[in-house]
Amino acid sequence: MSTFIKDYIERETISRRNFLFASAAGLTTAAMPGVFGAGMARAATDPALAWSYRDRASAYWNAIVSGGEAFTESIGKTKEDMTSLINEGSSEKSLADIKAFLAKNNGACAIACDANDSPNARPVAEAVQAAGGYVSTIWNKTDDAHPWDFGDNWVSHMTWSDEKPAEETARILFEAMGGKGGVVHLGGIAANNPAIERLNGLKNALKDYPDIELLDAQPADWDTTKAAELMASFLTKYGDKITGVHCANDNIAYGVMEALKAEGIEGMPIVAYDGNPEAVQMVMDGQLLATVFTNPHWGGGVTLALAYHAAIGTFKPSEEPNEHREFYGPTILVTAKDAADFKAKYLDNVPTYDWKDFWGPSNGQIVYK
Amino acid sequence: MKRLMTRENAIRWAPMLVLIGLVILFTAINPAFLSQRNFARIAIAAAPALMVAIGVTFIIVMGSIDLSMEGTVGLTAVLFCFAFLATGGTLAAGAWVAIPLILLLGALIGLVNGLVHVRLRIPSFMASLAIGFVGTGAAVLVTGGDIVKIDDDTFRALLTWRIAGFPLMIYVVAALALLAWFIQSHTTLGRNFYAVGGGEELAHASGLNVRRVRIMGFVLAGVFYAVAGILQVAKLGQAESVSGANFMFISITSVVVGGVALWGGIGGIWNTVVGVLIVNVINNGMVVIGLPDFLQDGMLGLLVILAVVLSTDRRSISFVK
Repeated sequence: MSTFIKDYIERETISRRNFLFASAAGLTTAAMPGVFGAGMARAATDPALAWSYRDRASAYWNAIVSGGEAFTESIGKTKEDMTSLINEGSSEKSLADIKAFLAKNNGACAIACDANDSPNARPVAEAVQAAGGYVSTIWNKTDDAHPWDFGDNWVSHMTWSDEKPAEETARILFEAMGGKGGVVHLGGIAANNPAIERLNGLKNALKDYPDIELLDAQPADWDTTKAAELMASFLTKYGDKITGVHCANDNIAYGVMEALKAEGIEGMPIVAYDGNPEAVQMVMDGQLLATVFTNPHWGGGVTLALAYHAAIGTFKPSEEPNEHREFYGPTILVTAKDAADFKAKYLDNVPTYDWKDFWGPSNGQIVYK
Repeated sequence: MKRLMTRENAIRWAPMLVLIGLVILFTAINPAFLSQRNFARIAIAAAPALMVAIGVTFIIVMGSIDLSMEGTVGLTAVLFCFAFLATGGTLAAGAWVAIPLILLLGALIGLVNGLVHVRLRIPSFMASLAIGFVGTGAAVLVTGGDIVKIDDDTFRALLTWRIAGFPLMIYVVAALALLAWFIQSHTTLGRNFYAVGGGEELAHASGLNVRRVRIMGFVLAGVFYAVAGILQVAKLGQAESVSGANFMFISITSVVVGGVALWGGIGGIWNTVVGVLIVNVINNGMVVIGLPDFLQDGMLGLLVILAVVLSTDRRSISFVK
């Protein structure tokens, strides 16, 4: 929300802390960050750890953070040793926080990061390279920026290709519709990459089902309330012509179900995306046909693990092949027949991962169109 | 015989005419718009927003502004779910206790809001915005970013039980709008809001305890935000820290579109009711007539300007800040 207020408080906190340090040392002048920090003493054998991400208000980012913390504990540290750099959806804050973290630790850093939007990945990588730190990124980067152009410092980039899984959920939906009828798509924020890919997946599947018509596709901004209102408007416009609903994420599906519940409509085939615990339960209960899990816990852990192990020299990124520098994360389709197993394996007990198996669960090198 | 088409009458009825005009426009393009079922859908979408808008109307009439609604709605919605589950999980098992509890909480948040504004002499804009952030932060803290669900069919009857085609929650909202109108028109407090908004110094010189009236206004607004939080849960069956998202924009837009002046003292509950309906009719209508989604935000902005031009009397204002 207000990055201005947060920035201000942070700035004040840091300068106050420096003042106290300086006073304690018997100096009267305020000092540059880092002079009194632990940075000088910390060699690359013990880099400072940080995760830079959007916010704590969603299950998705909480799972990312829990993975980062699980990795941090696996190397004998406490959760608190991983610093959260929360950008609140601001690319400027994302970059500023990372620069401050690098300065504080004199570059001895292993940072995991979602750069918030694609153009921000390059300045982040440049800042990390200039300071001699190590960064691994997920989701956002432009197609022309590659980790291998930044030596060892931009360790890796992982993203998830949503087109194929969204196509699979669409096929499951179309089969449930009996191969005919009308489908509506409620999407994410129109300009978001995953929103575009998930709609493309639906369109790819449509080619094989000539008797199914895509009635409408509009953005519901990943939001439950907006999705409920959009679905209600769709019902006015298309009425009984709607025989299936393709949702870009789980939150949207919750809104769609409530809009249908308000009308007393039951048994409408719906598919979703993200594999949140509530949605998986709905798949088990038969309210949803399918959702897709991207294993954010593993993603959060392995991204930080890659940066850490590059920093301490376990492997040298520039000696790794390109498919180890840019790769797709895992996607798991959750349907009625495997939902119970899936829940037991991934949600009821968080699996213990081998954080040195960096590329095992990944899904091949990123392909550009 | 008195002239009907006076300038005052035109301005008083302009929001209503804008609403009717929009309904005619959308119906002409797609007749499916004009159906009882669609009106019920618009009403469901509008119900929580109307409660927020009524709450902020009291503040705007005083010439202040309250921007705490998103945090307050989010926090009350989330805590309502927790309280509901903790007291039995169904209305029958005693979870109705959660309702007065959360209304009280809304009043308390409003009280803090008012005290920060009045006692610390911080402009209402900044004080309420800050309290809103605190509310959102607290909601994130108690939920840890997770969703809290309520599965009680009796409580959900607010959405699913229909009388004459409209869900029960619409009747609750209508009754509360009447109550708000009663407070505005038939209580000393309501009239004092107008006294403060019409000229604070004059009201103060006449012996009115302006600070107390202001604090009471924020308390009242807080209660209505809490109602919105509860209705949001009734509507979606769940709450999360972002349950209050978008209410700031939609409520203040609605209040202004309905003809309540941001400089205070002019307009009231009925303007707000019409304003909320206008904004929700536009939102629903744009999808129903098949307007491409990339044009919808722009069109909403244009229609809002048009509605404000038609429905507020700006001739008597020497300058607009």
